[in-house]
Amino acid sequence: MTYQTPMIAVKDLRKSIRNGPRTVDILKGLDFTVPKGQFAAIMGSSGSGKSTLLGLLAGLDTPSAGSVRLNGTEISYLPEDKLAQVRGKTIGFVFQSYQLIPTLTALENVLLPHELNDDTKENGLPRARDLLTSVGLGDRMDHYPVQLSGGEQQRVALARAFILRPPIVLADEPTGNLDTTNGAHVLELLLNLNRTEGTTLVLVTHDPLLASYANRRITLRDGLIIADEINPTPAETSREAALTEG
Amino acid sequence: MATLSYRSAAKIAAREMHSSRGKFFFVILSVAIGVAALTGVRGFSSSFRSTLLNRARSIMAADLSARMFQQPTPDQQKALDEIAATGVEITPVTELLSMASSAKTLDPLLVSLKSVDPTKYPFYGQVELAPSAQLKTVLDANTVAVADDLLVRLNVKIGDQLKIGTQLFRIGSVVVNEPDRLSGNFAAGPRVLISRAGLDASGLLAPGSHAGQRYLFKVPPPTNGAPISDKAVADLKARLEKLLPEAQIIDYRETNPALTQGLDRATSLLSLMSLVALVLGAIGVAMAMRAHLQQRLDTIAIMKSLGARSGQIIKIYLLQTLLLGLAGGLLGVAFGVAVQLSFPHLLARLIHVDTELHLQLRTVITGLAAGVLTTLLFTLPPLLDIRGVRPILILRRAVEDNDDPFVTAAWRKITKNLAQVAAAILILAGLAAIATTLSDSLVVGEVFSFGLVAVLAVLLLASVAVLAGLRFFLSKTRLHLPSSLRHGLANLYRPGNPSAALLAALGLGVMQIMTVYLVQQAVVSELHVSAAPNLPNVFLIDITNEEVNGIRTLLKSQPSVTAPPELLPVVSSRIVDIDGVPANEAKLKNFPKRMLRSISLTWSAASPPGTKTVEGDWWSADEKRPVVAIEKRQADRLGVHVGSHITFAAQDTQFVATVVALTKSDGQHAYSRAEFILPQPALAGLPVVWYGGVHADPNHVGELQRALYNSYPTVTVINVAQALETVRAVVLQITYVIQFLAAFSIFAGIVILASSIAGTRYRRIREVVVLKTLGATRARIATVFSIEFAVLGLVAGAVGILFANIIARVLLTRLTVAYHFQWWWTLGALLGTAALTVATGWVASHRILGRKPLEVLREE
Repeated sequence: MTYQTPMIAVKDLRKSIRNGPRTVDILKGLDFTVPKGQFAAIMGSSGSGKSTLLGLLAGLDTPSAGSVRLNGTEISYLPEDKLAQVRGKTIGFVFQSYQLIPTLTALENVLLPHELNDDTKENGLPRARDLLTSVGLGDRMDHYPVQLSGGEQQRVALARAFILRPPIVLADEPTGNLDTTNGAHVLELLLNLNRTEGTTLVLVTHDPLLASYANRRITLRDGLIIADEINPTPAETSREAALTEG
Repeated sequence: MATLSYRSAAKIAAREMHSSRGKFFFVILSVAIGVAALTGVRGFSSSFRSTLLNRARSIMAADLSARMFQQPTPDQQKALDEIAATGVEITPVTELLSMASSAKTLDPLLVSLKSVDPTKYPFYGQVELAPSAQLKTVLDANTVAVADDLLVRLNVKIGDQLKIGTQLFRIGSVVVNEPDRLSGNFAAGPRVLISRAGLDASGLLAPGSHAGQRYLFKVPPPTNGAPISDKAVADLKARLEKLLPEAQIIDYRETNPALTQGLDRATSLLSLMSLVALVLGAIGVAMAMRAHLQQRLDTIAIMKSLGARSGQIIKIYLLQTLLLGLAGGLLGVAFGVAVQLSFPHLLARLIHVDTELHLQLRTVITGLAAGVLTTLLFTLPPLLDIRGVRPILILRRAVEDNDDPFVTAAWRKITKNLAQVAAAILILAGLAAIATTLSDSLVVGEVFSFGLVAVLAVLLLASVAVLAGLRFFLSKTRLHLPSSLRHGLANLYRPGNPSAALLAALGLGVMQIMTVYLVQQAVVSELHVSAAPNLPNVFLIDITNEEVNGIRTLLKSQPSVTAPPELLPVVSSRIVDIDGVPANEAKLKNFPKRMLRSISLTWSAASPPGTKTVEGDWWSADEKRPVVAIEKRQADRLGVHVGSHITFAAQDTQFVATVVALTKSDGQHAYSRAEFILPQPALAGLPVVWYGGVHADPNHVGELQRALYNSYPTVTVINVAQALETVRAVVLQITYVIQFLAAFSIFAGIVILASSIAGTRYRRIREVVVLKTLGATRARIATVFSIEFAVLGLVAGAVGILFANIIARVLLTRLTVAYHFQWWWTLGALLGTAALTVATGWVASHRILGRKPLEVLREE
């Protein structure tokens, strides 16, 4: 497989936070690129800086130094509203704890990014319904998050992440809160969507099994990249093959 | 750029409200209580005020009265007719002294005749007759209504004939009380009410007659049912003053000084209470909305991570705020109207005060608008905070830079966020604007707005100082303190603790409640003085020097007399010149020159009861020089001031007196009718008649009248007991209603403050859980919270009470009411605030303390 334009370009990325009189360096200068269509897993133990990195990649936070380019656009120091616009149009997000709006139904949750970001006046409803159907929630569209199981809530979150056809999807431990069966199901759906939509996927996890599905593994420790490996035979391929065969 | 449609925003806002009805109900309730207090207090006080004003009108029997000293000129009459054509009702009242005799005995008796048009008079109030009847059915061209004194003196009864002038009249009824008895002349002789036609027929009104004439005016009420506005009365007064330059024109508010003062103070106090209700409601709203938006931080962060711009989220929460404000406002207005409707019944049952109820749309709209507006204003800072919510919150809870000292954090917030500063200015300006609009009293509006700004600044400084002090104290003593105390104190400045906001809310609330209490107490105690039960209510006229001691003795022996009599010597005199200008060339204001030829002088060593010196100084007891104290209004009419010289003449003696004091009387004592008071030596040797005032049991005045008549038949007894009872009743009602409304405002204030404290409970859930997980018992957690709340309560109480005393002092000085610092109440309020804070904190935390740690941790 060949990768041309880097979808994500990270250069000398640093993040420090003040904790009273002390300053803690969480990221100590990261450099890497993620080409279009790649599925990269960011690994590391607790406190290694992986969630902070994901936050910076998503423009949820501003770096202390360095830069992040998404699809060629420098996002690190954009004003908050511009950043929100970039986030809305470029990134789909899947969180460990789903982060659905509890007061909106499954369908409304999926539709929300469309309502917030789409300026084409296109009706987002058919796509929202299709996505929910594709994740197996066709009959639970009008349910509220609280009426759905953990796995179902994460599937709603998946559909929401893809509603605006974002070029990048970032996932933070997407199966972390789920049991093995549900976790596997959600992962399968995520990879399927990623493949059919042609998005670049960056997944943060400390689970080596989950990382084994990625084409590439970046490992962090104490705010530094200690390993950056290409996985020529990602597990998902074999699984998909098995599924196809089955 | 994509915009979130209002429909979607409203859907999200409404859905959120629907999903957590419990929490939102709490917010709505806070708004509702504030609006209810405002609508209820304001609506009721406006109804009560108009009831009071109507009573005040009945004491004059009109909106305005013009006392004339001669008949109007044809031009003036034409102008009066023009005024009448605009809908103003006018009726003349003529008072004159005459002789009346019984048709049987023909014994003549000096009577005080009062001619009225029974179809119009009185415009307000009722002439009380015995047996009970309407004046217009009793009084016609051939009948009169007389005081029972006359029946005794002439030995006649109802139905007998009475000869007045050249005409015989049938006695139709006995006059028990005339509404305007206090504003008419106190002339010698019993009252005889006669119709206009009757007076004309009697032939007494010959040209040149010295009849005193008063015109009574009634302003047409607005067609929309609203009460007659003060402006309409003031406009007519100005017009009449121009038209009738020699007439003394007074409006119904000036009839009785006690009543006027009572009204003014009641208006100020009621206005203050409305404002307090408003700000307390606003505090409730602000605290509730703050707590609410704090809990929505996660949702806000999620939306931002999904690409929502701050503006879009603000739109959602602005709509939510509007919906909450509107819902709370509507509920509050409903409560307020219910309160307003129930007050009159409650008051009638509890303290026998009848109030006519006018449910005014304006009050309802004002309440609703004030509710929505204050909700919006006070939600502005938390709404603007939305811009600062960082989406990273969903990934990483710890928020950097939150551990700075309070001052640094506040300063950074101010410099970084000019919008917040603008919001703060907007809130203060908005509140001041609402306060000015709502305030019926300019003084109250000014003092209140100023106090509000000052107290907020001081509270902010106090919270900075206290928190910094605590931090310093803890850094020095940390390990020597018991851990509960250490933890409780440290809680006050932990990151995210709303100490500063709660301190400001509590302090402001305590200040408001205490101000209402202090002002109310001072005003009520002064009103009690003017409604004292022992004020003279029977006046004695034309007592000779020889009779005065005998009358004193007789009054002492009367069981119905409940206070020592006030006796006032009167020397008939005239003014020869004022500051060297002969009387007939003097420039006078609303005072005819010929009246300078007939004035009364009196003497007194000290300032008489009910008389206050407003300019200059009273003389010492051994003053020999001719000096004079003049009633302020009279001095204005004559154009004299302290230091002026007036030449008086009595019989063939002339002397020059220097004006040394200008006085104001409360209108309730015998001396209130004295306009020129001198030291006794200045009037030595001049002929004197005495004038007396005595308080008698209103139910036994008849016995006193008979006893006086038997021993001193030439002394006229004027019974104003009924009329004075009316004034006293109104003043007492003012005090009752003020106390009642103040109690209501204070109660509502306490409820709102309690709910503000309770609103912070969600913030403590996590902390409780962590402490419990670490093995803390409920008692220990309760102790930690109690210490935290007690310190908050004490600091807020101290600042609030200090400011309450300052504001009360300024307000009372401007209302000319004495201010006294009250140690016990201050201490009580301070401890009460601490106790309330701790108790509310406990009650609100009770459920949190009972929660299982895992329940909460799972929700995280």
